Amino acid sequence: MNKDGFYALRIHPIVFMGVVTIVCVSILSALYLSTQDRVEANELFFLRRSVLDAAGISHDGTVDDVQSLYETSVVETDGKYSIQGDGNAPVTVVERTGPGLWGPITMMIGFSSPEVLSGISIVSQNETPGLGARIEEPWFTAQFAGKTGPFILVEEGTSDASNEVDAITGATRTSRYFRDIVNVAVSDGPSIYGGQ
Amino acid sequence: MEDNKMAKGIYKKTFMAPLGKDNPVFVQILGICSTLAVTNRLDNTLVMSLGVIFTLALSSFTISIMRSWIPSRIRMMVETLVIATFVIIVDITLKAFYPEMWKSLGPYVGLIITNCIVMGRIEAFALQNKPSVSLVDGIASGIGYAYVLLIIAFVRELMGTGTLFGFTILGDWWTSWAIMIMPPGGFFMLAIFIWIAKEAFMKEATS
Repeated sequence: MNKDGFYALRIHPIVFMGVVTIVCVSILSALYLSTQDRVEANELFFLRRSVLDAAGISHDGTVDDVQSLYETSVVETDGKYSIQGDGNAPVTVVERTGPGLWGPITMMIGFSSPEVLSGISIVSQNETPGLGARIEEPWFTAQFAGKTGPFILVEEGTSDASNEVDAITGATRTSRYFRDIVNVAVSDGPSIYGGQ
Repeated sequence: MEDNKMAKGIYKKTFMAPLGKDNPVFVQILGICSTLAVTNRLDNTLVMSLGVIFTLALSSFTISIMRSWIPSRIRMMVETLVIATFVIIVDITLKAFYPEMWKSLGPYVGLIITNCIVMGRIEAFALQNKPSVSLVDGIASGIGYAYVLLIIAFVRELMGTGTLFGFTILGDWWTSWAIMIMPPGGFFMLAIFIWIAKEAFMKEATS
């Protein structure tokens, strides 16, 4: 074969690249398809766990427990999750998304009355690891439970009144974005909770 | 016998170089973007390091096997494709089996593709050497990258949040240095690390 010929310079690289691409794409497609069920199950688990967390229902974090609790207590209608607690007031959970510092923050917000929150849990966020990402820490989301909005932020560790929550030190802007998303949901509270 | 000895020597030399005098991070100053990005938490750093070791080792190995067939004019395209394939394998595996870790790493796993160490080792080493030596070089370069990152992450997480792997180590008396977990903290730590490394055990090499 002529090393500088038309074939070696023009055709061979294209054919070679095509073959390598087909091999690589086939491997990845096979891997993707074989893990698809698992990935979907993971996503469903995260979603259900968020709903339970926002509704203030305690679970042990295992797949089985979350699934059985969800199936016995949660009814989903039009993107709203209604939970009829035993003896407690019913809870309505909605998903809300709003801008964060780097990307959107998506969360589940639970209402135990048109004004009072039952809890909040984060579905996804892209805040600064170690600073803004601390919104995922339980202490931060837990402080909304049982409180009445609209909320105001106070310095970390000083919240007192029923509409005050601690901001995160070093993540003032993430805290503000988070508060805004929650407050918008709170202002829709009557239609979210009463609409069921 | 003589050949055997020499071959062994090559493996040992190839393995030791990236750990010390040819370290990809503090000597060649490669892979700095991920060094700065993921080192504010040890668990993220550990998974990122394992991902890089895996990608580096297997893409060096694969390219080395293919090296005599790859047309030189398109070699970078082929390299990128192979690297991307291994990175996506890491990504899909994490997504399916370690979803919590995958969520917390976010876009960093995909960014292994742009880690200059991977492309650098393939261009500088795997294209000229046989597969087994290239595999050793890939693993060793990955380890050379990993241990530097883990040391930096250890200091950053400890000083920045008072924790290690998420467990509280320093008590309430410790005031977390927020700057350590922000990007400037990464620059400071990397610079200090390079300085100490060069002073401590690079001296003989230069003199």
